[in-house]
Amino acid sequence: MSPTSCRLAGLAVCLSFCLSPLTPASAQTPREDTDTPAQEPEPAPDPGLSAEDLKDIEEALGKDAAAAAEAGTAPATTPPASSNGVTLSPTNIDFHGLNLAFILDVAAAGFTSKEPLQTGGHDPTTNGFNLQQLELSINTAVDPYFRFDGNIVFSQFGVEIEEAYATTSNLPGNLQVRAGQFLTRFGRINPTHPHSWEFVDQPFAIGRVFGGEGNRGLGVEGSWLTPLPWYVEVLGSVTDASGESTARSFLGADLGGVTSPFDFQFTGLLKQFFPLSDDLSLLWGLSAADGPNPTGYRNRTDVFGTDVYLKYRPLKGNSFTTVALQAELLYRRRQVPQDVLSDLNGYAQLSWRFDQRWAVAGRYELGTPAYGQNGSVADDPLDPEWTGNRQRLSANVTFWPTEFSRLRLQGATDIASWRERPDYSVFLALEVVMGAHGAHSF
Amino acid sequence: MSPFRCFVALNAVLLGLLSLPARADLKVVTTLPDLAAITKAVGGEHVQVTSLALPTQDPHFVDARPSLALDVNRADLLIAIGLELEVGWLPALQNGARNTRILTGSPGYLEAAQFVRTLEVPTTRVDRSQGDVHAGGNPHFLYDPRAALQVARGITDRLASLDQKNAEAYRANLEKFTAELEKARAGWEQRLAGLKGTPVVAYHRTTAYLANWLGFDTIAYLEPKPGIPPNPAHVAQVLTQARQRKARFILQEDYYPTTTSKLVASKIPAPLVLFTSGTDFRGGQTYLQHLEDLMTRLEKGMKGQGT
Repeated sequence: MSPTSCRLAGLAVCLSFCLSPLTPASAQTPREDTDTPAQEPEPAPDPGLSAEDLKDIEEALGKDAAAAAEAGTAPATTPPASSNGVTLSPTNIDFHGLNLAFILDVAAAGFTSKEPLQTGGHDPTTNGFNLQQLELSINTAVDPYFRFDGNIVFSQFGVEIEEAYATTSNLPGNLQVRAGQFLTRFGRINPTHPHSWEFVDQPFAIGRVFGGEGNRGLGVEGSWLTPLPWYVEVLGSVTDASGESTARSFLGADLGGVTSPFDFQFTGLLKQFFPLSDDLSLLWGLSAADGPNPTGYRNRTDVFGTDVYLKYRPLKGNSFTTVALQAELLYRRRQVPQDVLSDLNGYAQLSWRFDQRWAVAGRYELGTPAYGQNGSVADDPLDPEWTGNRQRLSANVTFWPTEFSRLRLQGATDIASWRERPDYSVFLALEVVMGAHGAHSF
Repeated sequence: MSPFRCFVALNAVLLGLLSLPARADLKVVTTLPDLAAITKAVGGEHVQVTSLALPTQDPHFVDARPSLALDVNRADLLIAIGLELEVGWLPALQNGARNTRILTGSPGYLEAAQFVRTLEVPTTRVDRSQGDVHAGGNPHFLYDPRAALQVARGITDRLASLDQKNAEAYRANLEKFTAELEKARAGWEQRLAGLKGTPVVAYHRTTAYLANWLGFDTIAYLEPKPGIPPNPAHVAQVLTQARQRKARFILQEDYYPTTTSKLVASKIPAPLVLFTSGTDFRGGQTYLQHLEDLMTRLEKGMKGQGT
């Protein structure tokens, strides 16, 4: 597809997204109206329902279609939700066990800054409409010995193989091996895709340390589920250390080629899970990555990370409550000529789902400048402007019509100490999932 | 010996001990507690049964907690309902468990739905604009003891083929379970004979098999479409229908929200019958006791008493 037609398609999607009713209540109204006559031969306002009844229903459930019920067939003042434009093909796509899903993420964004400091490859980055991504996710069993997973991302100007790997399914001793191109399992958010994020954008820690696309590479990974009484998984991987937007702390865009085993990136992870009670879960990870950087012969970068995920979800009673705390800290050390730079990046986020369809979340992020061995702020070859702390506060509210669609309104203030004033941003993002909806990992 | 060496040795011993097989029993993991209770009834002392979901949990939305992956990792047999009921979480556990015995298609994986004559199989093309429709049919069949019996037979066959030396014991247990359940069923049918043709309002499409067995008529659902929460226009319609048809009660699992149902119940007026979806297997309840509880609640509902 030419860029122009891509743009047109993107514009059409954004436009229809704008025109569609943004509030859930009004979106339901017309659908109900059109349904009413078909489902019931008699008009809805039955003598049996008094004005008081309707008022009570309104009070309990909101005002959306009270008028509809009263008027029987309400005039279609808003465009019908079914003409929404973004509902592509909602049928299950499953060819003999090949699970296919398309995930579309679009967003309308507004920034106070002309040059927003967004670092994620799928973040909204410009004022106006943004196509964050159209992701095609594929997974299937290859044969009795392998599974295949692929994530192919269509952006406005191209197609990218984000992930394509085979996983063994038949190794003894609780072992599993993955090979291909994959997001390394460093920390919690790095190996995941926007669909499972609780914010519209990626934490800047990932973008700064690994790159906009997160840390990934071609390589091989082995993992072992230990036979301990609680869940302990140990994992190690060897991947290519190059890639401007996937390994920027390592070789980055430098295409030196592999001349020795030390030219790879090595990643290790220890993941533990503690079911504190039926309702309370704790997942804790320790990660480390080591690889060459291009600043000099045998100069290396180390990244150490820890992540926690504490989730409260009561399994008794009719509550949809879920409260989750997620935090990650990345400490990076880089050897550069005549110095060792170190910096710290991290985020902590708290989300609260208080209804079947609604949730709110808040996030705090911090990134320090690079410090030299003498403890003072040093020149950072990757982020020369980063001379002081950067902090970002984000908050959002999410509405899920179903588990296949999601609307998210997010506001953020970005306080970069090297800028004169804080930047503000607001996003309204829509995600729709079509096809086989893969099972969510914890 | 240095303290470090001592520590390493201790860990090695600990690892060795923990990785020894615990017992020769067949380890069975089921997705739902009802399946666990049925499996325990036919497996008896030769099986060690764990349920992944709790009885108070909506089986569509279970978190794939890594501790559950650990259960699946150590299982000889994994029993699921099927019909895409567990599609949102079970594949993650199966694929992450590193256990080839329980992968789909292996002898250690059993879907209970194959033993049941499924209801509400869509006859026309379905897509997601119709809500969460299960394309293979309604998966909530364990509210019907006749279906449970078919499932128990299927599980017995599988247990017997995986553990042939105890096959006789499994078949004997099945006979005992069948006799008890059939006896109880006759009693329940007698007690609830008055339900035949009775109009009932439900929350989600979970009552198909119960209605098919006891003969009541589910005239409306509070959800406008499966999985879509109630909205005012639809609730007004349901209320109208319920009043016209004189619905006897509203029936719903206790994991669904009650705000709307309480309101509608008070407006009809009719009692709201809440029940726990599954057997409290971990608490020692049997499948029969669970159904007895459900029947008692239905009986009370017929008499105009809610829960």
